[in-house]
Amino acid sequence: MIGGFEVITAGIQATIQDLGRVGLAEIGVSSAGALDEFAFSSANMLLGNEYGTNMLEIVFGGVKLRAKGSTSFVLTGAKVDAKINNKPIEIWKTYKIEDGDTLSLGFASSGTRVYLAVKGGFNIEKEYGSCSVSIKEKIGGTPLKVGQFLPFECNILQNNYKLFSKYVPNYDKITTLRIVAGYQWDMFEEYEREKFFKSDYKVTGQNDRMGFRLTGEKITSTCKGIVSEPIAYGSVQVPAHGEPIVLLKERQTIGGYPKIGAVIKVDCFRLAQLKQDSQVKFKLVSLDEAREIDMDFYKFFKEI
Amino acid sequence: MRCFNVASVDSIIVYFGNEIGEDVAKEVRDSFYALKSANLKHMIEVVPSYTSIMVSYDFLQTSYKQMCKEIDEVLNHAEEFSHDITTRSVSIPVYYGEEVGLDLENLATIKKLSIDEIIALHANKEYFVYAIGFSPGFPYMGEVDEILATPRLANPRAKVPKGSVGIADKQTAIYPQLSPGGWQILGRTPIEMFDTSYDGFSYLKVGDKVKFRAIEKDEFLELGGEL
Repeated sequence: MIGGFEVITAGIQATIQDLGRVGLAEIGVSSAGALDEFAFSSANMLLGNEYGTNMLEIVFGGVKLRAKGSTSFVLTGAKVDAKINNKPIEIWKTYKIEDGDTLSLGFASSGTRVYLAVKGGFNIEKEYGSCSVSIKEKIGGTPLKVGQFLPFECNILQNNYKLFSKYVPNYDKITTLRIVAGYQWDMFEEYEREKFFKSDYKVTGQNDRMGFRLTGEKITSTCKGIVSEPIAYGSVQVPAHGEPIVLLKERQTIGGYPKIGAVIKVDCFRLAQLKQDSQVKFKLVSLDEAREIDMDFYKFFKEI
Repeated sequence: MRCFNVASVDSIIVYFGNEIGEDVAKEVRDSFYALKSANLKHMIEVVPSYTSIMVSYDFLQTSYKQMCKEIDEVLNHAEEFSHDITTRSVSIPVYYGEEVGLDLENLATIKKLSIDEIIALHANKEYFVYAIGFSPGFPYMGEVDEILATPRLANPRAKVPKGSVGIADKQTAIYPQLSPGGWQILGRTPIEMFDTSYDGFSYLKVGDKVKFRAIEKDEFLELGGEL
């Protein structure tokens, strides 16, 4: 049976995301996809969904939905006060919502992105190989609108599941962003790099699905501009203003600013949950270390 | 000169030179198609630009060193591919009317040329597609005549209409959709640059040769152009 959520309140920006588009960067299409893959993959794991099943990525919460038909669902990511009708529910735990029930989310008190997944995912057609909404490119649809209907197959879990509390991330700690040296690393002199790794940076208001601009100690490179080149996920771009920008999933595919390296994947996921003014520090890791850390993440979620 | 560097935990950037030019661009193009057709196991994506190519790979299955080695082997034979690539010549109709060529008049003033001379300089040259990026289907082409070369606008426009044909320094490009941008706009094409109906979705491909054909307003509208 087909059910779905009717959107009563759309919030600030809620988009359908899966793990994004692969193979179209050569024609300028960004990958898009869930910014916090930990919260995303945890949601699918708790529901027993296939790896990479689509769900809603909701910035700050503030969304209200009415169920048509029933489904099992889960909220993960940012901490919000959530209710089914007037009954408070927890995040990182699966629930059943019945026909006619209302699910409402307050605003995030910790973290910024809430993920709402249903058993089996939403019935949404892929565009260019993915369900992900790419906001700037206007691909895969648009952010949620009032009155929109998000269809799903009515599926109920026999038992409900909850993430062990030791795995629930704390988004209020100072976040260390581990980076691998790359790209124009050699064009940042020793003392500039030292400054970069010793300083505290803060998340600015310029943060979105494309990237996060940070503020703090300015660093400069000897580079007088580079020829536009492909940009990898997590790249740390340092334009002439000297403040780093970490590029995320809706980044431009090519660009002409010097880059000191790239933040490892699991730390990009953490960064995506940080509010303006949150503190971050950079830490250099070897490519081997980075690979091991990121590998653990994917092995955990892919091999369950 | 070919050099490899880390781009991220699962991607490699290969540089073929430091400066934009047709020789490097051809090497990039040959290497890009060589890599795509080699279809190396664990290779996920290949992205070309002016002087470099990025390759992302399945880092759960293979390492940076192993991947560099495999890419290098493919690239040692990349030249063989240049014989297989038939360079496409593409003609793109452009309406250079003043109502769509937003910066024509200003350019004519700066360059002390007539608007017709500006148009002729732009349309009478063949361009090479160096890269596709910035937004879906946006082709970076070069190089425009030295006399015509002009920096980007000091104040970028919040909205550049879809199909706008512009220049920035020695480059020329087409905006596939309405977007912000700072290129100097000379005209507008009725051609869709990015569409699901195209093989590979993008109207132009890296390595194409492009010539602009000046058309009148009637033809522009007939071809589906919007003012």
